[in-house]
Amino acid sequence: MKKLFWLLVVVLVASMALAQQTRLRVFVGGQQRPDVMRKIFDLYQSRTPGVRVDVEVGGATSDQQQQYLTTVLASRDPSIDVILIDVIRPAQYLASRWADTIDKYLPAASRQALLRQYLPAYSQANVINGQLVALPGFADAMFLYYRADLLEKYGLKPPTTWDEAIQQAQTILQREGNPNLNGIGFIGAPAEGAVCTFLLPVWAAGGDVTNAQGQFSLTVEQAQRALQFWVGLMDQKVSPPNMAEKPQDTIRQEMQAGRWVFGTMFAYAWNRFQNDADSQVKGKIGVVPLPAFAGGRQASCLGGWQWVVSDFSRNKAQAHKLVRFLSSPEVSKILAIEASNLPVFPSLYRDPDILRVNPWFGQALPVVQAARARPQHPRYAEISEAIRVTTNQVLARQKTPEQGAREIVTRLQAIYGGR
Amino acid sequence: MTQPQPRIRRSFGDLSERALAFWLLVPAALLLGLVALYPVGRLLYTSLFLRRLTDETGNNPVFVGFQNFAQAFSDERFWTALWNTLLIVLVTVPGALVVGLLLALLANLPFRVKWPIRLGLLLPWALPLVFAGLIFRWFFDSQYGVVNDVIVRLGGERLLWVTTPELLFWAICFSIIWKSSSFVALILLAGLQVIPKELYESAAVDGANRWQSFWRITLPLLLPAILVAAIFRTITAFQTFDIPFAMQNGGSAFETLAMYVRTMSIENLNFGYGSALAVLMFLISFAVTLVYLRYVRGADD
Repeated sequence: MKKLFWLLVVVLVASMALAQQTRLRVFVGGQQRPDVMRKIFDLYQSRTPGVRVDVEVGGATSDQQQQYLTTVLASRDPSIDVILIDVIRPAQYLASRWADTIDKYLPAASRQALLRQYLPAYSQANVINGQLVALPGFADAMFLYYRADLLEKYGLKPPTTWDEAIQQAQTILQREGNPNLNGIGFIGAPAEGAVCTFLLPVWAAGGDVTNAQGQFSLTVEQAQRALQFWVGLMDQKVSPPNMAEKPQDTIRQEMQAGRWVFGTMFAYAWNRFQNDADSQVKGKIGVVPLPAFAGGRQASCLGGWQWVVSDFSRNKAQAHKLVRFLSSPEVSKILAIEASNLPVFPSLYRDPDILRVNPWFGQALPVVQAARARPQHPRYAEISEAIRVTTNQVLARQKTPEQGAREIVTRLQAIYGGR
Repeated sequence: MTQPQPRIRRSFGDLSERALAFWLLVPAALLLGLVALYPVGRLLYTSLFLRRLTDETGNNPVFVGFQNFAQAFSDERFWTALWNTLLIVLVTVPGALVVGLLLALLANLPFRVKWPIRLGLLLPWALPLVFAGLIFRWFFDSQYGVVNDVIVRLGGERLLWVTTPELLFWAICFSIIWKSSSFVALILLAGLQVIPKELYESAAVDGANRWQSFWRITLPLLLPAILVAAIFRTITAFQTFDIPFAMQNGGSAFETLAMYVRTMSIENLNFGYGSALAVLMFLISFAVTLVYLRYVRGADD
């Protein structure tokens, strides 16, 4: 009888200890370095007794992750507490009421102070209709990667305009005479990255999808010129005719195998070129801001990932504390060193520890500061589809740039018109 | 032998045979209701509402009657998707039947070692559809694909299979036929094995050649199996999704009805309209199934 009593006491104590422990489940994509994230969560666990953080790893691309998350969130599943989302999604999360907004846990005054520390683009991207939906985890933007060894061989400096880049590519391709070497790589497959492909020349020419008041303002002429630019690269033979097949990571893999002179990609590529075992271009790659268009300006496409608390979480207060930690300078620095993720705090771009691992981060700050954001809209998925699928069809020469431009403008007009 | 009936009844309590049958069927009926009737009913219900998760109608759907269906009938993209789906049915069902019949005849030949052919028959069938799509996506890649490699070795030009609509359509059909003909072959093989051998023997005695006995014996006796295979294949062909989806890298230059339903609901979060499209697709599948049921009943008679 006594034994039974003590056993009961032990079970009771154990279950109370278990009940006190909060378990938080965090969703990150397969390409967002879950291994590094795990280290960060371990650090958090060691400092916050009673909290355990589990990682759930999702698909590789932003679209794949969101398809899974849509089913989880639309069914009000409480199993995920914190989610790492793409910079294009906060508006949709607010409209669908999937996010437990950060405001509830932040007095207005400290919210101002907090937001002022981040790069302005990310404070803007996360505040929708005056509500703070998420907090930035790491920054990203598109850059021009180039083969420093090849440019040096022919006495060329990294290009500052696209005309220069085209000429340099033509020179190098001609003199190298290597049938496996290509000129300028850009995202042509109908994935999310193709939205950036379409918008880069639009932005560089001073246009955008919406004006400062948020009204639709893209013209057929702007869209047509943008599409014509990329088709022109294939006409001038600096890009191969099968660009419509190529997603970003294919360009990255091919450049890693030494098959491109130039490539336009997001920041993640650097770490792979330098550290992957199969990389044939270690130490041969340079990074510069994307070139400008003649008579236009330089423009890059803003990327980056944000931490959001699920509105269906059962541990919202604890989840918010975790998100505040994940969006802190300390974590930003770990991500920069371990995963080459661009920091969301301007001051960290001068941090000596970070620059030792990523010497090009010094140049990256102005690019991220000047990078343009894709449209913010609750129906962004439809905007994205209209742009990326049509851009892909133009690159595949199924449609002329003019037909493609008309289609994009008509479809976006309908979405902005609420139809 | 004296009155066995009451003893059996007593062992099942007071239940009559009818009541027993009822209670034994309840779990199956519940399960069917849960996984088939409830979702279909819910789909019909949602299709009558304006419901987008991207605005306030996500939490407060607005009843709009048949407006979603009216929208579908004036939606160019719906008709294109329907037409594409029909083309897939028209090409891949006869294609799979012909290839499947050849495979079944081959497997039915009196080889000494039978397992290599039977394994070859089963493998494509056991492979998940999306894997088949990804594999063929690589086969038809313009730069790295085996198809273009063969064409170039034969002195031809590289073709942009995946991004040229006409070529893409045939590449998709080829992949679907490869994937689905093994299913057809399995059904036809079963049909072939029940044809009595004596018929061929007596035909041979009467001086019929192989071609004649195929035409006069095999084909007529195989007809019921061919019909079953054709109907099953048609139903799944109307639902074609995985292979064209996986082969296009997220693009929708060639879109089937099932792909459009997915884009509208899962990506655009427009559940009302997406449900209406799904209902239309359901009606088409239902009509084909009715044809099948009618045929099965006819065979029983």
